[in-house]
Amino acid sequence: MSDIAARVKNVVARTLKVDPARVTNEARFVEDLGAESIQSVELVAAFEEEFDIEMDEQSALGVKNIRTAVDFIARHLPPGG
Amino acid sequence: MHQPLTPKQIEQLQQQGCRAADWSRVRVSFDFDPARVHNVRFEGDVTLGALAGDVTSASGLSRPCAIADACLINCTVGNNVRIARIGTHIAHYHVSHGACIEDVGLMQTNPGASFGNGVEIEVLNEGGGREVILFNELSSQFAYLLCLHRFRPAFIDKLIAFARAAAQCAIADIGRIGHGAKLANVGKLIDCNVGDAASIWGATSLVNTTILSAPDAPTLIGDGVQGHNCIVAEGTQVTEGAILSKTYVGQGCRVGKQFSAENTLFFANCEAFHGEACSVFAGPYTVTHHKSTLLIAALFSFYNAGSGTNQSNHMYKLGPVHEGKLERGCKTGSFSYMMWPCRVGPFSVVMGKHTRNFDLSQFPFSHIEADHAGRCSFVPGLNLSTVGTVRDGAKWPARDRRKGNVKRDRIDFDVFSPLTVGRMIKASEHLKQLQKSTDRSIDEVTINGATVKRVLLRTGSKFYDPGIQCYLLEKIVTRLEAGQSLAAAPDGLFSEDWLDICGQMMPRQRMLDLCAAVESGKIADLAALEAALDDIHRHYAEDEWAWIRWAYQRVFGAALESADPVALADQLLAAKSKFLNLILIDAGKEFDEQTQTGFGHDGEAADRVADFAAVRGDYDHNKFVQQMKQSIEQLGQRIEALKKKLSQS
Repeated sequence: MSDIAARVKNVVARTLKVDPARVTNEARFVEDLGAESIQSVELVAAFEEEFDIEMDEQSALGVKNIRTAVDFIARHLPPGG
Repeated sequence: MHQPLTPKQIEQLQQQGCRAADWSRVRVSFDFDPARVHNVRFEGDVTLGALAGDVTSASGLSRPCAIADACLINCTVGNNVRIARIGTHIAHYHVSHGACIEDVGLMQTNPGASFGNGVEIEVLNEGGGREVILFNELSSQFAYLLCLHRFRPAFIDKLIAFARAAAQCAIADIGRIGHGAKLANVGKLIDCNVGDAASIWGATSLVNTTILSAPDAPTLIGDGVQGHNCIVAEGTQVTEGAILSKTYVGQGCRVGKQFSAENTLFFANCEAFHGEACSVFAGPYTVTHHKSTLLIAALFSFYNAGSGTNQSNHMYKLGPVHEGKLERGCKTGSFSYMMWPCRVGPFSVVMGKHTRNFDLSQFPFSHIEADHAGRCSFVPGLNLSTVGTVRDGAKWPARDRRKGNVKRDRIDFDVFSPLTVGRMIKASEHLKQLQKSTDRSIDEVTINGATVKRVLLRTGSKFYDPGIQCYLLEKIVTRLEAGQSLAAAPDGLFSEDWLDICGQMMPRQRMLDLCAAVESGKIADLAALEAALDDIHRHYAEDEWAWIRWAYQRVFGAALESADPVALADQLLAAKSKFLNLILIDAGKEFDEQTQTGFGHDGEAADRVADFAAVRGDYDHNKFVQQMKQSIEQLGQRIEALKKKLSQS
């Protein structure tokens, strides 16, 4: 899980161009990290590529902060992924 | 039949303050009532009809038919009209039955007047090269072909000849005020024809202009309007100080609130307020409502301009070259700017200040933004499943204001069509190929002057593919439901590429055949050309079906004949449910926490939610959301019913 979290934070910092120190577990994408609507689309695409998963928009809707993103991705990763 | 005035009638007219240069040149109808004519000077040949009863004035009051306080020079006046308080004169006009003309400064037709017909409009490039010739019967399709198909000079020569012949028909020495037309408080009308039932109330000046109008589609020209070298079509309202110069305003349009337009064409149902249009080809449903909005030298249709929208081209050295093309359904955000030439694909949104040229015509439904340096970046297909796109698709047909029998512009309203879906198929294929061939170390890819983030190449395909499948499967399943064959339609004509001829969509081959027929002389006049366009319009569904059969094979990799109808129905259920759910998700964004920012002013945290609910309602009770949910439910029922029907057959 800690590996997933690190990778998620890395993707977020890179995509949103924010200081990695600000990308904490509870950091919210919109309010705290300043993600615009288009960047949310880009984030989903970046997560999909990083973890080789499919995130449909309906499921991704509940992903509001780093912690929920990590949980979501962990649930969708294939066993051993 | 008209007859000379009797001596008794002349005497009575003189007693009522009337004068004539030569009374023998004044002729009247047999039931002419001189008691209703006061303080009128007659010059040249004047013919007067009967004067009895009342007419309705421009303000809606019933007023007695009469002629008073006017100077009529070489005029024919129909029965039961009211002409009162004419400042200078009415010269060389035919005033039709039932017209009411009050408080007009000057009305005059000069010899050989063309009433706006034959005026050449320099659209798309201020420096010219794509002139459209105005004439009363101008359709959006004719104007588009004349303007844009300059690469076929023989075709253009014929179109110019058709347009000139039509314009020639309008030339006359006498102007016409139509049956039941109402004019009041108008400054001057010079070389101006006014159609039946038109109202011109408070206009400042109309010069070399035709106001087309009909009883079932009356036209209104309102306060402070100036129109020079124009044609305004039936059912349109030009009001509130609009200034039009070398402009065509098509049927059902609204232009007002001090909007100014020059060298501009507006076709059916356009709306233009406050701003400015210069050398614009505004196809059907072009809408600009806000101040500081300049539309210049571009082609639009089904377009909505945000406030402060602006475009230009400061790069030219040998004269202005613009060529801005926003294909149907585009929107520009507030204070967006584009440096022409640019081309934007259908149903795209443009935001920000773009200082580079780009061509994204092959990526419909894109979200296009400018970065801080003015470079264009885009997300392909992002607008495909938005609430806005769905609502736009529903609202246009419902807002067709054109009334009456004649609708000159042919309009195909479909958001999803071989035009848009064809581009989506190619765009999706292109994005997949780019994704495959681009190394992961690359951040972004440039396509025709615009950049797309590499990770979004796959996303773009993910946006396009469900839309493509939905469209194809919906059309196929609809035929299955109707018991129609999936075989080719006998009269359908196939082209892989479809064109949008200013509102009318057609296979490329139809257009090529049309051009060839014009060039060869098989289509020899305007009427024949318009009839051919009507014929193409009637074949839309058959042509679309020919395209769908081809597209199915390209997308699904198998011939439609080999498909299992039950599987097709299940595929539609899956694809469309997903698509409709995406729209619901987009609608949901309008009710999320962030959207509620600004609500609950002066209140506590809980008040924000209550305030938002009071003003905007809630998600579950929103009419659009309910409609979408109902559509999903009905889709399931439809598919079940079809499968049952198929199992019984």
